[in-house]
Amino acid sequence: MLTVVKDIKNQLKVTCISIKYALMREMINKASFLMNIIFMILNNSCFIIQWIVIYSLKSEIGGYSFKQILLLWGISASTYGFAHFFFKKSFSLSDTITNGKLDSFLVQPKNVLISAITSEVEVSAIGDMIYGYILLFLSDINIFKFVLFTLFTICGGIVITDFAVIFASLSFWIGKSDTVADTANDLITNFSTYPDGIFKGLSKILLYTIIPVGITTYIPVKMLTEFKISLTAIVIVMSIILTLLTFGIFYKGLKKYSSSNLMISKI
Amino acid sequence: MTIIKVENLNKTFKVKQKEKGLKGSIKSIIKPKLNEIKAVKDINFSVDEGEMIAFIGPNGAGKSTTIKMLTGILYPDSGSIEVLGINPTKQRKKLSYEIGTVFGQKEQLWMHLTVYDNLKFFGAIYDISERETEERIKELSKLFDLQEFINTPVRNLSLGQRIRCEIVAALIHRPKVLFLDEPTIGLDPVVKENIRKLIKRMNNEYHTTVFLTSHDVSDIEKLCKRVIIINNGQIVLDDSMTNLKYHYLDKKVIEVKLKKKVDFNSVDGIKVLKSKENNLKIEIDTKKTDLTTVLRLIDPENIIDINISNTPLEEIISQIYRKE
Repeated sequence: MLTVVKDIKNQLKVTCISIKYALMREMINKASFLMNIIFMILNNSCFIIQWIVIYSLKSEIGGYSFKQILLLWGISASTYGFAHFFFKKSFSLSDTITNGKLDSFLVQPKNVLISAITSEVEVSAIGDMIYGYILLFLSDINIFKFVLFTLFTICGGIVITDFAVIFASLSFWIGKSDTVADTANDLITNFSTYPDGIFKGLSKILLYTIIPVGITTYIPVKMLTEFKISLTAIVIVMSIILTLLTFGIFYKGLKKYSSSNLMISKI
Repeated sequence: MTIIKVENLNKTFKVKQKEKGLKGSIKSIIKPKLNEIKAVKDINFSVDEGEMIAFIGPNGAGKSTTIKMLTGILYPDSGSIEVLGINPTKQRKKLSYEIGTVFGQKEQLWMHLTVYDNLKFFGAIYDISERETEERIKELSKLFDLQEFINTPVRNLSLGQRIRCEIVAALIHRPKVLFLDEPTIGLDPVVKENIRKLIKRMNNEYHTTVFLTSHDVSDIEKLCKRVIIINNGQIVLDDSMTNLKYHYLDKKVIEVKLKKKVDFNSVDGIKVLKSKENNLKIEIDTKKTDLTTVLRLIDPENIIDINISNTPLEEIISQIYRKE
């Protein structure tokens, strides 16, 4: 038991250093670093202007008030930002697998998947996270909501990452799966920006199961407006189950990993 | 003590085959054709503690596949591997604490970080305390002469300096076995020689077992006492370097400057490699004719200058690759 705790502690330490170093690399060019963040916030702001216009014509869409839309966009942006900042490489994991770039992680005594997906950070994703919190402040804020929002950001970010890793892991069996993985990731992003009330029947079932937008966005928005402990538990439990499933699939696929002889440098 | 033990190791890759052109591409989507390529076929060998072994072969022979199976990167199809009594397939993490790897073609260092920060990162990866890491950095930077550029970002180093740092990063956790996959690729002769000296010094100081693959014969000749040659996935030779030289030394090369030209074209066992005016370069097959006969044919009185040498090791290895 003690060894497991020590292992987890060491893994966390290395992961934090890896993220810190990746961030330091991005900060070399100060101007580009800041511009990336600022422009992402501005880019996201354009979408909310559309909703302001729509809500000037209608008071409710799909069961959502304007404040709920703000929360919906806030949680979508922050989960997306969390996943893309901390686990950027999970969104290009298919390329890492097919081009044999896992070798250097496989010879280290740390978790291969965690090491591989945390080796780079996406600077613009900081802008997404900041934007998410700005919208939370604009909606209706208190300490409790702030904590809950942060919890959902982490859980949702992990679920998005899980989803990306599962589809990228298909590369172990079918070769290049980047297009499939990209499409799946886009599905989550796109669906998470519309109120779930507009979806009915099969599409709604899909959004709460196969495409886990329900877990990443819809339930959190409900929770932030009408608190129900059971819903929070569902989000946490589902995140854990999906993460365990993701590790299982990745490590099963790893047995099929075929490496490559490409000349590679870690930049 | 045996450090590496490999028994009946096999690895097959499935490679997609495609006929040429767009038609071929469409055909391969409808009915994909897969070819099985046996990269490693039933190989057996063992390596003792402290040995420096050369594992060589032509491109595509199965060297890298074997090294990747030994380090836990690839899963073998069948057979058994034990490195320090650990099965790389089942206990990859445990093994990685005990081995170091340097892939000449794949950088493991962060390019934007200084050498020092990189080494600190590797210390953390292997769960070494900060103080201990500091001490090891000091010790290794002295042994590998890194002091001059320890605070320089890796991207600003020359290739030779970078490889030195890669080796040091692989040694930070004091591994018992070091796998070097073409460590001198792309380096100039002076730097190559420098790296070889450092590897030798490391072997002497820490008694690290070294498993080396290289296409550079000088690496093999100067570093290793034993050589394993693999070709088409099979081991074709496993012998000491001395035996390799002597068993295959049935040919001598004579370069001679003569007063009068001598014709050797019709003499059995002698092959004229170069002939320009009175300068000759001939190869003698000592199984067919001995040196005394050749020297008698030349006539000592006729010689201005002579040089008799063995066939270069590179040529011997090429012959083995070609199964001559």
